[in-house]
Amino acid sequence: MRIDYKLNDKFDMGLAIPAFLLFCIGLAAIYSSTLHNPHAAGNFNKQLFFGMVSVILFFVIYSLPTNIFKTIAVPTYLFSLLFLVVVLVIGKRVSGAKAWLGMGGFGFQPSELAKLGTVLVLAAFLSRKNAVVDSFKDILFAVSLGIIPIFLVLAEPDMGTTFVFVGLLIIMLFWKGISLFGMFVVLSPAVLAVSSLFGIYYFISGLALVVFCLFLFRKDIFFSASIFAINLAVGFFTNYVLKALKEHQQTRIKSFINPLADPLGAGYNAIQAKVAIGSGGLWGKGFLAGSQTQLQFIPEQWTDFIYCVIGEEFGFIGTIITLGLFLYMFIRVLKLASSAKDEFLSLVLIGILSIYFIHLLVNVGMVVGIVPVIGIPLPFVSYGGSSLLASMIMLGIAANVYRTRKNYT
Amino acid sequence: MKTDNFLSITRESVAYFILIASFALLGFRLVQMQIIEHNAYDEKAANNAIKGIEQIPLRGVFYDRNMNVLVSNIPAYTVRITPSQYDTTLNKLLETVLDVEPGYINKVLSGNKTFSKFVPIRIKRGIDFNAVSWLEENSSNLPGVDLIVEMQRGYPAGIRGSHMFGYTKEVSPALLEKDKDYYKPGDLIGYSGIEKAYEKILRGKKGYTYILVDSRRKEIGRFKNGTEDVASVKGSDLVLGIDSDVQRIAEAELVGKNGSAVAIVPKTGEILAYASAPDFDLSAFSYSTSKDYLQKLYVDPEKPFFNRVNSSPKPPGSTFKVMEAIAALDMGVIDTNYIIVCRGGQVFGGRFFKCDASHGPLNVVHAIEHSCDVFFYNLIYKIGMNKWDEYAKRFGFGEDTHIDIGEETPGFIPTEAGYEKIYGENWPRSIMASLGIGQGEVNVTPIQLAQYVALLANDGVTYTPHVVKGYLTNDISRKFVPFSYKEINVGISKKIFAIAKEGMFLVVNGSGTAAASRSADVQIAGKTGTAQNPHGKDHALFIGYAPANNPQIAVAVVIENVGFGATWAAPIAKKMIEAYLLKDKLKQLENISEKKISNNYTGAAVAH
Repeated sequence: MRIDYKLNDKFDMGLAIPAFLLFCIGLAAIYSSTLHNPHAAGNFNKQLFFGMVSVILFFVIYSLPTNIFKTIAVPTYLFSLLFLVVVLVIGKRVSGAKAWLGMGGFGFQPSELAKLGTVLVLAAFLSRKNAVVDSFKDILFAVSLGIIPIFLVLAEPDMGTTFVFVGLLIIMLFWKGISLFGMFVVLSPAVLAVSSLFGIYYFISGLALVVFCLFLFRKDIFFSASIFAINLAVGFFTNYVLKALKEHQQTRIKSFINPLADPLGAGYNAIQAKVAIGSGGLWGKGFLAGSQTQLQFIPEQWTDFIYCVIGEEFGFIGTIITLGLFLYMFIRVLKLASSAKDEFLSLVLIGILSIYFIHLLVNVGMVVGIVPVIGIPLPFVSYGGSSLLASMIMLGIAANVYRTRKNYT
Repeated sequence: MKTDNFLSITRESVAYFILIASFALLGFRLVQMQIIEHNAYDEKAANNAIKGIEQIPLRGVFYDRNMNVLVSNIPAYTVRITPSQYDTTLNKLLETVLDVEPGYINKVLSGNKTFSKFVPIRIKRGIDFNAVSWLEENSSNLPGVDLIVEMQRGYPAGIRGSHMFGYTKEVSPALLEKDKDYYKPGDLIGYSGIEKAYEKILRGKKGYTYILVDSRRKEIGRFKNGTEDVASVKGSDLVLGIDSDVQRIAEAELVGKNGSAVAIVPKTGEILAYASAPDFDLSAFSYSTSKDYLQKLYVDPEKPFFNRVNSSPKPPGSTFKVMEAIAALDMGVIDTNYIIVCRGGQVFGGRFFKCDASHGPLNVVHAIEHSCDVFFYNLIYKIGMNKWDEYAKRFGFGEDTHIDIGEETPGFIPTEAGYEKIYGENWPRSIMASLGIGQGEVNVTPIQLAQYVALLANDGVTYTPHVVKGYLTNDISRKFVPFSYKEINVGISKKIFAIAKEGMFLVVNGSGTAAASRSADVQIAGKTGTAQNPHGKDHALFIGYAPANNPQIAVAVVIENVGFGATWAAPIAKKMIEAYLLKDKLKQLENISEKKISNNYTGAAVAH
C-alpha cells in the first residue's frame, strides 16, 4: 500500500469530513423537525453539545495506543453486559423499551456500549492464535458471545438493536473466513426466525429449504439432524418471542407484512414516512418548508425518522448526498480493514463497519419502505447522545488504526 | 474455502459487492419515490396537510314578475353530532329535546357510518327556539354536539306554490352517486318543482377555504394566506312569470277542492299562476320535516304531492269544441253560414245522443255560445277522425308541453288507427260523436288546456308555457337575462280565430253558458266544459281570456268531481282575471283604505 506521508498521513480526512458533514446535515434536520415542537425545543442545542463532547472523545480514542483495544476487549464486553442487566432492573422505559439508564439530566443506552464490546470480544476471540473458525466449537462459542447480549437486548425489548447484533456476528464470522457450510449453520436459524414471522407456511418452506441444503452439504446424519433440530427450535422459539413481545411491537411487525391493513394505526408511520420522502421530489420543498415535517405528521422525527426530514426538505439531492457520504466513509473503513495485516484490528474495523452499515440499511430501508418499521437511529445524523457518542468512539478507533497503520499493515 | 491467510480476495470482493449493491438498492428506491412517483406522494402530502372547508353559497331566490320575493333564504339552526366525541347515552335526552321519535339519532348516525367519525353529522335542521336555548345552556354537558346556522327556504309572500316552487332535501345516496364531484353527504338539492328543474342555476358554486392542519387535524393557519381559496358564487336569482295576486287568488279558490288553476300570458307563454289542489306546506319541508306531517301527506287519499296541473289528464269536455270549430273552418268544410238545427238530440249508429236543450237552428258562433252538442256531433263527422286528431295535436294535445318544471303526462288523443287496432276496420263510428263533445277516451292535462287557451287568445301563436322567465346576474348591475322558449304556431289564419273567438265572447257576454261569470269591469271570453266522470260527479272546466279584444291573460281551470264548469270553474277564472287586469283598481281601493287608516291614526294623535 502506498502511504501518503503528507497531509493524510496521520489523520484520515476521508473519515472525518463525511462524518462532520453528516453531523451537520443531521443538525439542520433536527432544527427543522423540532422547530414547532415545544417538547423537543432543546434538542438542537443538546445535539450540538453532544457533538462537541463526542469530538473530544474521538480525539482521546484517536490518540490511545492501538494495542489497548485488544486489552480492553473482554472487560468492555463484560462491563457492557453488566449494564444491560442493570438496565433491565432499574432502566427507564422510553417508547416501550426499557433501554435507558438515567445519568443526571441525560439518558444513556447501554446497548450502544454493548455493540462495541461485542465487536471487540468477537474480534479478540476469532483472531486468537489457534482459532479454527469452521470448528463447531468455535462457531458455537462465537455465536454464544453474540447471543448473550442479543437476549438481554431482546428482553428490553429492542428489536432494532437485536438486528444489529445478529448482523455484526454474521459479518464478522464471514470476514474471519467461515466456510459456506459454517455460514449455513449460522445463517439458517436467522432466516428461519424471520420466515416464521410471516406464518406457518413460510416457516415450513424454510424448514424444507434447510433440509434440502443439508442434503447438498452431505454431512453425516447425526450432525445434519442436530442442525435441523436447532433450526426447528429457533422457529418455535421465535414464535414464543413474538408472543412475548409488547403489543405495539407485534403490530409493527404485522404492519410491515401488510402496511395498508391499518393506515391510522401501526402502519401510520411507515406510510407518512414514505409520503414525506416521496413528496420531497428532486430538489425538496426547502429548509423549514416541508409540510409533513413542520406539521408533525411523523412522531419524533428527529430520531429514527430523520431521513424523512432530509428527503422532504432537501429532496433527492439531499438524500443521495447523504447516502454518498456514508458510502464514501464505508469504503474507507472497508479498505482499511482489508489492508490491515493485524487480524484483530481488521475484524474490529469490519465489526464497526457492520454496525454502521446495518444501522444505515435498516434506518433508510425503513423510511423507504423496504424494511419493517424498527426503531434504530441513523449514525451521526439522528438526534441522540448515546448513538452519536458511540458512533464517534467507533470512528475514533478507525482513525486510530489509520494513524498507526504502518505498524500493523 | 479454509485458508491460512484469514482474508481471501473473494471475501473482500463480496464485501464490496454487498456494500455497493445495498446502496444501489436504496438509491434506486429513492429515485423511484422521489422522482418517478413524486407527484402521487406530493398529492398525498397535500391531502394530509391541507384541509378544504366547503363554503356553501346562498341559494338563488325567486322573484315574481313584479320583483316581489316569493322564495327567500332565512337562517335556521342545525344540530350536529361528531361521533368520535359523542356519548350515545345522551340519545334519549336529545331525542326528547329535539322532539324526534326514540332511536332517531342512532338511525341517523348509523346511516352515516361510512364517513369519518371525526366529521360532524347533521342530526336535525331547523331546530325550534326552545331547543336551541336548551342546547346552548347545556352545551358543556353535551360533548360532540354542536349547533350551526344554516340557510333554509322561507316563503315571505304568503304563497304556497307547493308543486311549482318544489322543495329541497338532503341529497340521497343515489343522487350523490350521480354527481359525486359536486355534492357531499348532507348537501341540499332541489327535489321537485323549480328547485329541481333549476338546481344548477340556483345552487351557485361552492367555495373552498384551505387551512393547514397538523397530524392531529388541529388548525395551524390559512394555506398560503388564503391566496388559493376559491370564493363561493351565490346561486342566481330567478324571475318568475308568476303574478302573486293571481297566484294567491287561485290558491285561495282551490282550498278544499281537488283541481288545477293555471293563468298564462297568451303572447309569451309566461305562467301567471300555477296551482294544484290539494297542496302542502313547503315551509314544513324547509325545516326538518316532522314525521307526522309527512306521514299524513303520504297516506292522504287526495294525494297532495300529486301535481295535477302537469299530470292529471281529464276529458276536456266542451272546451274542445272551439278547437273543432277552428278545424272545420280551416278545412273549409263549414263556414259561418253553415246551419244545423238542434232538436235536443240526434241518433248516431243506432244510439241516441242528447243535447242540453233544443237549441233550434245554429251557426258555428252560436253553437259555441250555447255549447250545442248536436252541432258538434255532426261537425266531427264532417272533419273526420284523422283530421280531428291532427288538429288536436296542432293545439298541443296528446303530447308533452315541455313546461320548464316538473314531470308531465301527455294525455291521450285517440286515433283512427288506434280504434282499428281494437275494434277492426268497422269500428263503431258512433264513438266519434262522444269525441266531438270532448268526452270518451280523449284526455288532456290542465297545462295543455292553458297552452290551448293561450293559442286561442293570441290567434294561434304562443310560446312553450313556462314558470321561470329568466334570472338576474349576480354582479352589481343585477341585469335580467331571459331564458328563451320555443315558439308554437298552429298556422291558422286570424280570420278563423276571430269567428271562434266571437263565440267565446258570447259564452260569457251573450246568452251563453258562462253568462253568470260576466265581469262588470273587464270583457272576458271563454268556454265552459263539463267532463263526464264515471266514478262520481262531473269535472268542471273553464278556459278563458281577457280582455276579449286584446287578451293579456288566459286561464284554464279544472275542478274535479263537482259538476258544471259554468258553476264551479268559470267564477274562479273570473276572479283570477280580475286580480290581474284590475290591479290598478285594487291598488286604488287598498290605498283608500290605507289612507283612511292612517288618517284615523293622525286624527288620534292630534286628539291627544
